[in-house]
Amino acid sequence: MKKSKFFIYLFLVLALLAMRASAQTAEALLSQLDSTKKFNKVEATFKATHVVLSHSTETQKKHDLDLRIRHHFGDIGGEFGSAHTLYGLDVATDLFIGLDYGLTDNLTVGFGRSKHDELFNLYVKQKLLQQTTDGSMPINLTFLAQAGLVARKPFTDTEFANYGNRLSYLIQPIFSRKFSQRISLEVMPAFLIRSVSADPNDPKNLFTLGFAGRVKLTKRLSFVADYTLVNGLSRPNKLAVPLYNPLGIGLEIETGGHIFSLNFMNSEYINENSFIANTKKSWTDGGVRFGFTISRNFSLFKSKNPDTKSTIY
Amino acid sequence: MNSTRNKLVWVALLCLGLIGKAEAQNYVGKSLKMTIFSSTPVEDIKAASTSASAVLVADKQELAVQLPVKSLEFDKKLMQQHFNENYIESDKYPMAKFKGTITPQLDWSKDGEYPVTVKGVLNVHGIDQNRTIAGKITIKGNTISISSSFEVACKDHQIKIPRLVFAKIAEVIKVTLQGTLEPLK
Repeated sequence: MKKSKFFIYLFLVLALLAMRASAQTAEALLSQLDSTKKFNKVEATFKATHVVLSHSTETQKKHDLDLRIRHHFGDIGGEFGSAHTLYGLDVATDLFIGLDYGLTDNLTVGFGRSKHDELFNLYVKQKLLQQTTDGSMPINLTFLAQAGLVARKPFTDTEFANYGNRLSYLIQPIFSRKFSQRISLEVMPAFLIRSVSADPNDPKNLFTLGFAGRVKLTKRLSFVADYTLVNGLSRPNKLAVPLYNPLGIGLEIETGGHIFSLNFMNSEYINENSFIANTKKSWTDGGVRFGFTISRNFSLFKSKNPDTKSTIY
Repeated sequence: MNSTRNKLVWVALLCLGLIGKAEAQNYVGKSLKMTIFSSTPVEDIKAASTSASAVLVADKQELAVQLPVKSLEFDKKLMQQHFNENYIESDKYPMAKFKGTITPQLDWSKDGEYPVTVKGVLNVHGIDQNRTIAGKITIKGNTISISSSFEVACKDHQIKIPRLVFAKIAEVIKVTLQGTLEPLK
């Protein structure tokens, strides 16, 4: 009796197995072949290689060349602003022209020249970690190293007596996370190495901490902001000429290939090696200014693969 | 008593045999080639992937194909990023899928080239559309090749093209699929 019960159970189990096997649909089989895991990189945490003032974690795509033209106008208010300078539009505190080129999808080299100090800058930017959709990598990490060379004539005979005094360096790991389709945030500690500082109380080497964020308003329009904490970290409180923490806000408009940014910021200068240490204007006393960035991407070295060959007539 | 037991064992073994049979009639392909093509007087845009996968349940004439959207490669990487972010929204809808039933009934053991239509549901950008897609099935021994060329209208799948780039992106995208399936072991 016991034995036959066992066989009935065995029969039921096997019959069930057989039914399950034949009920296996194409869809069930297909889900086992899900290969989206291979394509799980989170792209476009930020639209551009820069947020407002600071770098983002984005690098150029391979063989893409970005021409960036940036402009900072004069103070909107205060002593140097108001209607006499058309709210700063008569003044250009800094201009910048630069080229960023993607050697690979993860490695970008950049070169630029600023009006202020006739500063030439050269940087390398390497994407080290990229966020994934499955959460196995929650953040992006990009490493930035930049050298700046002041090319202007010395103001005094002794200023650049030592040629090395013209040089400055920025080392900056950048951490970011795309929290949703709309919201991305970024933290970037940095170390700025200078040869000279205007105020003897201001240390030549500064440790700073930057924050940046993006809120996408529409698919092509974003609100962006960044803030760099300089005062209160490695810099003493009392300096002869007060210096401020740079804060920039802006609207970023993407049109496929072009990015236009309309920005407001208190920093007069465009390059990190200049603005991190030398922002003498404050948002609270009319020192805020308008600025813009125009970025145009060019794809060099088109592929010869006929399946992906695109043509513009 | 004994004979009932024996009968049960035989039925159970038969069922086991059915399992084997059912599995032998499934075919899979893991690296099918898919291309998309947008053509306007201003610009031709092409992209390709070799990461589409397909499953064929032969006894039910059921075919399913899926494409991880991010696997589509464009010549311009920035264009690829815009495609994923602004149009197809691949973070939200990572897969494009088609599942349908093949007509006419085929004898899967007989070599040959068969023009077929597959009636089913196409899911792109998270939107289902009932479609009947024509294609070709080639049976050669254990290998089954499928190929098809069809069109997908952006509007049908709520893919919005802004007026700014209206001249550059076609309203109807041409899609091709080509690849082989092997029996599932």
